[in-house]
Amino acid sequence: MTQHHPDTHTLMEYSAGNLSEPYALCIRLHLDQCAHCRSQVDTLDSLGAVMMESQPSADVNDDMFERILGRIDTETATDLEVHTEPKVRTAYSNALERMLESDINDLPWKRQLADVSVMDITHLFPDQHDRVVLQKLTAGGKALEHTHRGRETTLVLQGAFADNNGVFGQWDFVTLDNHDTHKPVALEGDDCITLSVLTAPLKLTGTFSRVLNPFIR
Amino acid sequence: MAETAAVQNVITKERSVSNPTRGNARAEGRKDPWSQLLERVGRHQDRSAYRELFEHFGPQIKYYALANGLSSHAEELVQEVFVSIWRRSSTYDWRKAAASTWIFTIARNQRIDMLRKMRRTSRETPVETEELWQIPGENENEPVTSLHRLMSERRVRDSLRHLPEDQITVIAKVYMEDKSHQSVADELGIPLGTVKSRVRLALNKLKVILQDSSA
Repeated sequence: MTQHHPDTHTLMEYSAGNLSEPYALCIRLHLDQCAHCRSQVDTLDSLGAVMMESQPSADVNDDMFERILGRIDTETATDLEVHTEPKVRTAYSNALERMLESDINDLPWKRQLADVSVMDITHLFPDQHDRVVLQKLTAGGKALEHTHRGRETTLVLQGAFADNNGVFGQWDFVTLDNHDTHKPVALEGDDCITLSVLTAPLKLTGTFSRVLNPFIR
Repeated sequence: MAETAAVQNVITKERSVSNPTRGNARAEGRKDPWSQLLERVGRHQDRSAYRELFEHFGPQIKYYALANGLSSHAEELVQEVFVSIWRRSSTYDWRKAAASTWIFTIARNQRIDMLRKMRRTSRETPVETEELWQIPGENENEPVTSLHRLMSERRVRDSLRHLPEDQITVIAKVYMEDKSHQSVADELGIPLGTVKSRVRLALNKLKVILQDSSA
């Protein structure tokens, strides 16, 4: 049961189709598990339909409908079959694992600190500027205290962590910015794995942490 | 109480468009005319129903494309959307979404897809648009609910005309012009907080924000 949800403004931008792919992925993964937000997005999609209807309309070419019918007719039976065939179901349970072609626990993690491993997956999101990172905090492990230079949007994929703002469990959605300093601690049980989108590198607040900070090169 | 009155009102209105010869007038009565047409396309590949949908939604989608800055590709988008409607119509389930909502999400996804293709610098597509933005009702795990969903569209439509112009303007820019709340604020020369409060006031009135929302 998720406790922390994306705010309504973010859901609206998602429904309008205005979020970049990494943010849309975070929202989509949350929606897969959260009936509360799904219901809001359904209503927001209806708002989109009503907005489209309430705006002016633009004349289409007289022959366009005939051209569409022409395309439907020329699409061969095999083309249509491809589209109606059930999608190939893979073993992976969600869009992220299908992108990674891996279970999130079997990734080639890079250990940064005793308890912290990371994997940068920005390359899976070409043509956009944000950094996309998976982070793993060993069950019961601690991360270093850090603050953020920009905005960090995080979705908990597995396990749970706690910080001064509360406890964040699986599929919880968290947004932090440069006013937030936190020192996350993973709860016992599962390793805590998160997906984060970072608008700017985060910075550590302690001394000699610059070298260890996975996001400062 | 207001909700009950609205339901009554809708059902009375709907009866006039349902086809009494089909028998189950109550079930049919919940469908709006566009959803009935879309179902005819899905079940019978009915081209006259398809044409009616095109005549109604085609010009809306073209304006949507133009407002979103797809000027030279506006007609292409309309075509892509309608071909997609034809291909997917057999999966349409009126209990899961009103036709206009379903068609809006197809138009949105085709727009995103077109922009992604234009922006693409590499050939790779690590993720399909529809992995990220779903068409309502295409998740087979989703239980069939839905009076709630159908009512929500009517509620939104009925309430929208009572919203002040400044709230509608902000929402229209988000939905029709591919703008984030921040870019709406920049364009109108007002603080981000003002944009957010207009959206929030509007959504409260439209009851988009559910009562138990923590957001």
